[in-house]
Amino acid sequence: MVAEAFSGRFSIQFIEEGNDRDVLLRARDLVHVGHRILTAPLAGSIKPWETPYRSVMLTAEPEGPMDLFSLDLMERALAILRETKASPRTVSQAILQDFQIVDKSLMESALMSMEAAGQA
Amino acid sequence: MKLELGYIDIKGIRFGTYNAVEDRVLVVNPDTLIEQVLEDPHIKAARFEIASPGEKTRITPVKDVIEPRVKVEGPGGIFPGVISKVDRVGSGKTHVMRGMAVVTAGKIVGFQEGIIDMSGPGADYTPFSKTHNLVLVMEPAEGIHPHEYEKAARLAGLKIAVTVGELARNIAPDETVVYETPTIAETFDAKLRGLPRVGYVMMLQSQGLLHDTYVYGVDAKRTLSTLIRPTELMDGAIVSGNCVSACDKNTTYHHLNNPIIEELLARHGKTLNFVGMIITNETVYLSDKIRSSDWTADMAGFLPFDGAIISQEGFGNPDTDLIMNCTKLEKKGIKTVIVTDEYAGQDGKSQSLADADELANAVVSAGNANETIVLPPMDHIIGTLDYVDTIAGGHDGSLRPDGSIEAEIQVIIGATNELGFNHMSAR
Repeated sequence: MVAEAFSGRFSIQFIEEGNDRDVLLRARDLVHVGHRILTAPLAGSIKPWETPYRSVMLTAEPEGPMDLFSLDLMERALAILRETKASPRTVSQAILQDFQIVDKSLMESALMSMEAAGQA
Repeated sequence: MKLELGYIDIKGIRFGTYNAVEDRVLVVNPDTLIEQVLEDPHIKAARFEIASPGEKTRITPVKDVIEPRVKVEGPGGIFPGVISKVDRVGSGKTHVMRGMAVVTAGKIVGFQEGIIDMSGPGADYTPFSKTHNLVLVMEPAEGIHPHEYEKAARLAGLKIAVTVGELARNIAPDETVVYETPTIAETFDAKLRGLPRVGYVMMLQSQGLLHDTYVYGVDAKRTLSTLIRPTELMDGAIVSGNCVSACDKNTTYHHLNNPIIEELLARHGKTLNFVGMIITNETVYLSDKIRSSDWTADMAGFLPFDGAIISQEGFGNPDTDLIMNCTKLEKKGIKTVIVTDEYAGQDGKSQSLADADELANAVVSAGNANETIVLPPMDHIIGTLDYVDTIAGGHDGSLRPDGSIEAEIQVIIGATNELGFNHMSAR
């Protein structure tokens, strides 16, 4: 849903065959090459092991040397996923759209802040 | 600022053909209340039910819980900027219908609303098994977006609570408690000298649509950290607008009855000097997190606090805000205690918080939300069990054929409330 909603405006890497961990790993890799993260990687009060969707906003271009603050946040988030024993996962199709709506609303919230700061 | 709360102890609720409080029993005409709810075109259908302590009743999915109150003297009205006109509340006299609540129920976001059991083992985990509940069950109009429906459901609950609260205006209270907060100048009074200057930092869930909290009607994510008088919350200055995990979201009832505020006010001038309270948000955008926590720490140093209690709302991303607030205060020499809950896995062995720092060395835990519980079948369901399998903490198969539910305690409203508003304690 995020990919659909924002694809005209931003460069989006959509990881279709993957889970929240794969998204965070890709974001971490981008941090390694100089991108800076703009939103907290563990978004929302949805437990990291419950939602199948995860969006992270990064700067479109690398900004020079690796941003240590971004890296620290990404590694902390990944550590949580590594350490957490997954609770029984909900697979109900009926609820997937709700997860997508919340994922999108979190990105919209961040976008409002970006726009207010003249960064989008 | 001085606020007098007059508590009227409600002993029961029944339906009738008029609205009144008679012999401490709330009588409501559901038809007139439904009419009020259906004024909003976003709501297709509404009905009222009553749930009382000890009944074999389960309410789910629950959105909000609200205590009816009415402003009897002093400026403003309950829920200023939302239901009443904007005016500074927190002084004068307010009547409270204690022992009852308006509960809003109905599906908004399937995985985030929770359960209230009025009896059985689940009842021990929620304070709202002890209240007489007037439950408003709603259905959204066709085709509306979840956030439009969330707003409609939020406002409907608050409106009904105000309508009900109005019935207590002319009733003599059973108990009166006076809450008085000092000005900053008064906190430097000679008689308070030697007592530690303690502040309260309250974090508000504000990450976006369906994750919001409103302060005088303002969306908290669009605010800077600011000072608020504790008594303002008692008049409904802060209302819940979120659909996060049932166990650790602060309902509007929690905002009205914040136990950290009550304890600090009770100890003011005795064991500590309660200097003031800062509210701050929990956001998605990192620049916002940095700005809000910088601002909170700066204000705490400005007042100044010697120590602070920091309460969180939610889990995951807000842990980052919590640790930023904690470490930035600590680095200014302000001792902190954080109040949070844990997601330590069903065996309790996993890391409890999504973020951590060695400066966060004083923690009050409201419990492990992953702990499992079996809730026995109930005779009466208010709402629907359609979403039990999908609530956070539930799973496919949570709802068993006999109507019992096996799930984590995070499905229960208020089970690990991070203001410490719980009946269960290890103290």
